[in-house]
Amino acid sequence: MTQPVRIAQLSCGAEYSGIQHEIDTAAAEVGGEIFFPDIALKDIRRDFDLFGLDVRSPDLKLNIARAKALVEGRVEADAVFIATCFRCAEAAIVRNELRRYITENSRLPVVSYSFTERTTAGTLLTRMEALTTIARRRALLAREVQQGITLGVDSGSATTKAIVMKDNKIIGTGWQPTTEVLKSANEVIARALAEAGLTRDDIQAVGTTGYGRFLVGKEIRADLIQEELTVNSKGAVYLADRQHGPATVIDIGGMDNKAISVMDGIPGTFTMGGICAGASGRFLDMTSKRLGVDITELGPLAMKGMGANVPMNSYCIVFGTQSLVNALAAGSRPEDVAAAACHSVAEQVFEQQLQEVDIKEPVIMVGGTSLIEGLVYAMGQLLHVNVVVPPHSQYIGAVGSALLASGFIQER
Amino acid sequence: MAKVFIYPATSLILSDLVSRYGHTPLSSAVAVRERIQTAGLESPPLQITPEEPKKGLRWAAVEVPAGVRGRMALYGPQIEAAEAAIIINDADLSFGCMGCARTNELVKYLLRQKDIPKLDLYYPKSEEEGVRFVAAIKRFLDGLGGKQ
Amino acid sequence: MTDYTPVHAGTVTKYVVVESFDITPADLGIRAYEISKDTMVKETCFGLVINGKEEEVNRVVAELRKIDPDHIFVKDRGFPPGDPRRCRANIGGARPGYHGMENEMTVIPYVSHGLEALKTRDIASVPPPENPLDHRELGIARLKKLIEAQES
Repeated sequence: MTQPVRIAQLSCGAEYSGIQHEIDTAAAEVGGEIFFPDIALKDIRRDFDLFGLDVRSPDLKLNIARAKALVEGRVEADAVFIATCFRCAEAAIVRNELRRYITENSRLPVVSYSFTERTTAGTLLTRMEALTTIARRRALLAREVQQGITLGVDSGSATTKAIVMKDNKIIGTGWQPTTEVLKSANEVIARALAEAGLTRDDIQAVGTTGYGRFLVGKEIRADLIQEELTVNSKGAVYLADRQHGPATVIDIGGMDNKAISVMDGIPGTFTMGGICAGASGRFLDMTSKRLGVDITELGPLAMKGMGANVPMNSYCIVFGTQSLVNALAAGSRPEDVAAAACHSVAEQVFEQQLQEVDIKEPVIMVGGTSLIEGLVYAMGQLLHVNVVVPPHSQYIGAVGSALLASGFIQER
Repeated sequence: MAKVFIYPATSLILSDLVSRYGHTPLSSAVAVRERIQTAGLESPPLQITPEEPKKGLRWAAVEVPAGVRGRMALYGPQIEAAEAAIIINDADLSFGCMGCARTNELVKYLLRQKDIPKLDLYYPKSEEEGVRFVAAIKRFLDGLGGKQ
Repeated sequence: MTDYTPVHAGTVTKYVVVESFDITPADLGIRAYEISKDTMVKETCFGLVINGKEEEVNRVVAELRKIDPDHIFVKDRGFPPGDPRRCRANIGGARPGYHGMENEMTVIPYVSHGLEALKTRDIASVPPPENPLDHRELGIARLKKLIEAQES
């Protein structure tokens, strides 16, 4: 039995929201163990003053002191989980500043999260899995070159992707909308193998990621079953050829969005989620259907339009769609509507998620939505950077899985 | 014997003095005990389930953070039952059950709104202040009557 | 979610804290073991944690107080002694409430002094402490007092 990954919890309100058990459960499920850094009252007094963030809540003061103890090595941990109540401004400031402070001053991976009483272990699982992976598998994540013949499968909520790689090159791809998880996976694998001119027997190692990773991984006997946060980070910096130094990876997915602050290919801090599907790829999918264009045409169309001409807020997918219908009924041009939809999604990701990671260039956009150039453009405008979209960016999870899976070839 | 809400609700000093002088302190520990001694669904460590923040809606609106509402589920009923209150105004280092400044503000406000005898104090910072502190509390509690 | 069945239902738990030059938690422990019948007693660095039926715990606590009434303090505890949910060994660090108690322990000597002094002083003649609600603004009289205090 391997040692559990020791996750230091810095939180305010979790016990009183009734969700501490959910946090403990999520951590335990991925081989982690939650603990509270032990410090004395004199440490709290001194470190709270030294840190200089003059908050009122005693538990936030306690967390500031605990964070300092972690950074200064007075308390040992493998990872840090920062959690505070959703809608608490005071706690949000502390959460962000502690996340930044720990990331800048230590090598500890950090996840920050704002919870409600409805937060469940299931919601926290992928984040916890990423935390324990980063802590436990630094050696595996250090891989920069793909070797041998490997297969990567990304079983996503909207689409399923497969990639076959050989000697650091992509030689086969498969893609299709997710219907039945296993059926979709088998079909994209068959397609990727056919394109590569190989059979299943030629494959030396397999990796899976995405929502269906456990089901698919079990079915195809994967060597590596890994959540998409670490896999996509690796895939992004690999494809963009930015494996060293900082990078920011943005993946606007079909069901949720990921924003990951990466250093040397390893995630430092990340956020996952999105309040509503209005801030996801789904909304763009709906927009293209309403405009009567293929999703592949939405990006070029948006590039010709002026988003500012159409009032739109896709904070909620229902109201977002309503804005869309209203705009078209009022005679707005389809290209303006397309641009407004792209801007709206980008703006929400910017406002709700990118505030919780430090944006460092290069900013790499990946996933299927990165092919919608209007969305990439809108994100670049909001961030004031040139966003990088690497080749094969829509296969990001599959590429990351295939790359990391090659670490298992020798073990066989 | 009066039910006296103590603030901070975790205070050893207030809990002691209130019961020493013959009254019943209403404290965090009593509210937590109620929960951990009641059968229901498992929700360690405090046996505060996600239902408690919903009960807290009685004292704080839905846009108030869950942690505040969950804590209010502990203190709300006690504030309603309180016949008197002693409030220490510089309890800035009371953690856990008293760890949220927003809840604490609401608790103090609700106590101030209530037409019951209240005693506002600071922690003593010298021996003479200690004498005045204890004397004030004793006079206050004796004034509540019904002493055993 | 799994069902929760409480243990120690119908009991109370109290901390008995000693802040004294003369009495140690161990002394208190010995006395508690002597006089308690059906209670569970656990020694801690602060003093004792006692669990049992309310009347019995109250009886033991009242007896213990007699040892050094001005330096022994009692409060309720939600959890029974050694409960794994609150135990430092299980959660890595002290439960948050511990630090609050640590904080009050720095004030307790003044309270002890107050309890002692009131045995000889007439309580009616002790002036009231500063009222936090009175000093929203600094009054002239108080400013004058502060200046005089600085000068003397």
